[in-house]
Amino acid sequence: MKLAIDETRCKGCNLCTKVCPYKIFREGKRPNRRGIVVPELDRPERCTNCRLRNLYGRQLCGVCQLTCPDQAIHWTEEEPYEPHKVAIEY
Amino acid sequence: MSYEDWFRQDRLPHIYCAGCGNGTIINCTLAAVDSMGWTKEETVFVSGIGCSSRAPGYILTDSLHTTHGRALAFATGVKMANPDLHVVVFTGDGDLAAIGGNHFIHACRRNIDLTVVCMNNQIYGMTGGQGSPTTPKGCLSSTTPYGCAEIPFDLCQLATAAGANYVARWTSYHVKELEKAVKVGLETPGFSFIEALVQCPTAFGRRNKFRLVADHVEYLKVHSLLRAKRDRMLENGEHIPEDMFVVGELTRRNRPAMGVKP
Ligand SMILES: Cc1ncc(C[n+]2csc(CCOP(=O)(O)OP(=O)(O)O)c2C)c(N)n1
Ligand code: SF4
Ligand code: SF4
Ligand code: SF4
Ligand SMILES: [Mg+2]
Repeated sequence: MKLAIDETRCKGCNLCTKVCPYKIFREGKRPNRRGIVVPELDRPERCTNCRLRNLYGRQLCGVCQLTCPDQAIHWTEEEPYEPHKVAIEY
Repeated sequence: MSYEDWFRQDRLPHIYCAGCGNGTIINCTLAAVDSMGWTKEETVFVSGIGCSSRAPGYILTDSLHTTHGRALAFATGVKMANPDLHVVVFTGDGDLAAIGGNHFIHACRRNIDLTVVCMNNQIYGMTGGQGSPTTPKGCLSSTTPYGCAEIPFDLCQLATAAGANYVARWTSYHVKELEKAVKVGLETPGFSFIEALVQCPTAFGRRNKFRLVADHVEYLKVHSLLRAKRDRMLENGEHIPEDMFVVGELTRRNRPAMGVKP
């Protein structure tokens, strides 16, 4: 699973930066188009839910999502891994 | 299914201010409702007036956004007319304990089968920050510019004294605990009351030296005293600081209830 912040909903309260045990959310630096400083994700693949949700078949941890007052945190399914042909140019 | 499926996605983002704790409490309540396995058709949300009371407007089920203080009166009507429905009430400290105070104690006395989630931000948020019956002593509001001189209500003690079957208190910091408490409330026949202390950065935090939203949440976290610890302190005759509040399950009993399907 892939962790994401919905920029159209986030109001930049930074509560998510306080609650994640892995400190995956970090205060953002620049305001977006709506003037909101959305937090940045620091190596989100470390998140328990990203790693284990599909294995356990249920939501794990999820504290950031429950805490986010603006329903801006969610997970999306990742595309299954596909080998890519790599053309090497000399 | 997940609790996200209970939201009216087309109505989001909601109008709450940045960092308002109400959104967190809606998440936790919906997560608990979702875990009950109920359908949307058999679940009803009722509220009064206030920022907190806007919550049902963001939820997909049938709901009643009623008049100020009267959420419990309407909810009682819904439950008595159709005991098959699961009725959940969202309310604020002003809505529940000020104008709606009498409805509150009598709903507890009747022990009617409702689950009530009170988002207690200790202020009238919607109308610009007037003091409420739960504004702590010394706190500033637009009606207590020199600090509130009155002693606030303890809503949980009030619910217990008036007869509610289940009473718990948590804060917007304790999301998992709050979700569990709401779930137990939903499972308990009779009146279940869950108080959630929340931050209101706009009307309360701004006047009371919580410059950042997280500062207020941190305050709620460090001033929470677990019930078991409180009991131990009382046993040992230790002094409990005045600014601490008890969190956890405070009452659970089996008084005869009203509106429960036979
Ligand atoms: C009969 C009536 N009296 C007064 C009001 C004005 N009013 C609207 S919301 C509110 C206070 C709400 O406080 P609370 O229930 O704590 O909700 P919050 O906004 O803090 O979540 C008041 C007094 C009203 N709408 N109706
Ligand atoms: S689900 Fe838990 S571990 Fe994953 S980002 Fe959220 S708080 Fe961090
Ligand atoms: S908690 Fe939600 S709204 Fe607040 S900064 Fe994080 S993602 Fe944005
Ligand atoms: S005024 Fe307070 S309670 Fe109302 S939306 Fe803003 S922060 Fe929330
Ligand atoms: Mg209030």
